[in-house]
Amino acid sequence: MDGLPTRVTAPVWGIETIGLSRTYGRTTAVDDLDLTVPEGAIYLLAGQNGAGKTTVMRLLLGLMRPDGGESRVAGVRSGPRGDVRAHIGYVPETHELPYGRMRVGHLMDHEASYRRTWNHEYAGHLVRELDIDRSRRLGALSKGEMRRVQLVVALSHRPRVLLLDEPTDGLDPLVRDTVLRLLVEHVSDTGTTVLVATHVVHEMDRLADHVGVLRGGRLLAQTTRDELRAKLRRYRFQAPADWRPPEVPVAHRNGGAGEYEWTVWGDESSVVAHLTQSGASVTAASPLELNDAVLTLLRMENR
Amino acid sequence: MFVSLDSADPRPIYVQIMDEVRRAIALGALAPDAALPSVRQLAADLRINPNTVQQAYRELEREGIVYVQRGQGTYVADGAVPQRERARLLKAVAARAIRDASRHGFTVDELIEGLREEEST
Repeated sequence: MDGLPTRVTAPVWGIETIGLSRTYGRTTAVDDLDLTVPEGAIYLLAGQNGAGKTTVMRLLLGLMRPDGGESRVAGVRSGPRGDVRAHIGYVPETHELPYGRMRVGHLMDHEASYRRTWNHEYAGHLVRELDIDRSRRLGALSKGEMRRVQLVVALSHRPRVLLLDEPTDGLDPLVRDTVLRLLVEHVSDTGTTVLVATHVVHEMDRLADHVGVLRGGRLLAQTTRDELRAKLRRYRFQAPADWRPPEVPVAHRNGGAGEYEWTVWGDESSVVAHLTQSGASVTAASPLELNDAVLTLLRMENR
Repeated sequence: MFVSLDSADPRPIYVQIMDEVRRAIALGALAPDAALPSVRQLAADLRINPNTVQQAYRELEREGIVYVQRGQGTYVADGAVPQRERARLLKAVAARAIRDASRHGFTVDELIEGLREEEST
């Protein structure tokens, strides 16, 4: 379907990629990508496995070289020298760290020693909130314990940009909830720009103010949460037996035998007008929860 | 003040927060000059984007229902009249009831009749 937005506007970008591309052998992981995250935004990057989310983050960090295009994070160009990493807090997708025999406390001291902006008081607060034992060896940590340590490391130097790759993966429901609260407090206090990739989209429903849906390394859609709520709606309507459906951009069809529920992209007034003119009588138009909206967008492109 | 949000509610979150503040004023739970929770506090309690709370407070300020003391907080304005907030809330409740009735194929008259019957049983 045409007409899905892929451009947002903002006075300053927290993250910006221009024509960013990266291939692995013959596979294109990131394809001419123009990803734009306004400064201070919480941006959900959604997509199936292999859509390119992790590669985008690694390119932003300068951990790998792009085949084309460039990217900037907090105004600093991503590159192999790694200057950009001083401004980024990163929770990687993987739960593994190379130094298994190192203790948690040692890792944190090590991070603190080369992060100029490391805030010891704040780090201590996060360690208590997340119930982390500094004396444990990294190699002995469970997935969830490792994730908590990674979150403390990413947040404690108060970076201008957070790149969170599946930040709640491996966490139990209580800790997940605590992490969401800590993230809200962090954003309130710092105005940090957040790019978060997650499969647990519903967790971000009330947090994300921008959404990008990635597929095959390209953005199917990039928009604000408000626009998504306004433009992608579920219409319930009744229609007579001899009804001829109107030409509207339907993302999902449901129903039959007189009663229908369609998910349509467009201005509500215009969609309702088209449906009404076709002889249908619309009884409701409602926005979708973020998870449903993302699923709908992903399925649309599958057609 | 207690704020509760409903994910299934078609009202945007910031509008739901505005209506919760109205409700607290209408019920007398928030009197003039009473402090609203800070943006940080409410956002953290509800696990929502702080900008959403900010937006709700800004709109309430524009309507003259709250005032902002820079660097201190947000307070209920003298101009916030409980009766008027009650009236606004009632209008919103009525609009939702009509929408729900219409979705199920009922007219406003049928809805009113249904409400009367329900109340008398």
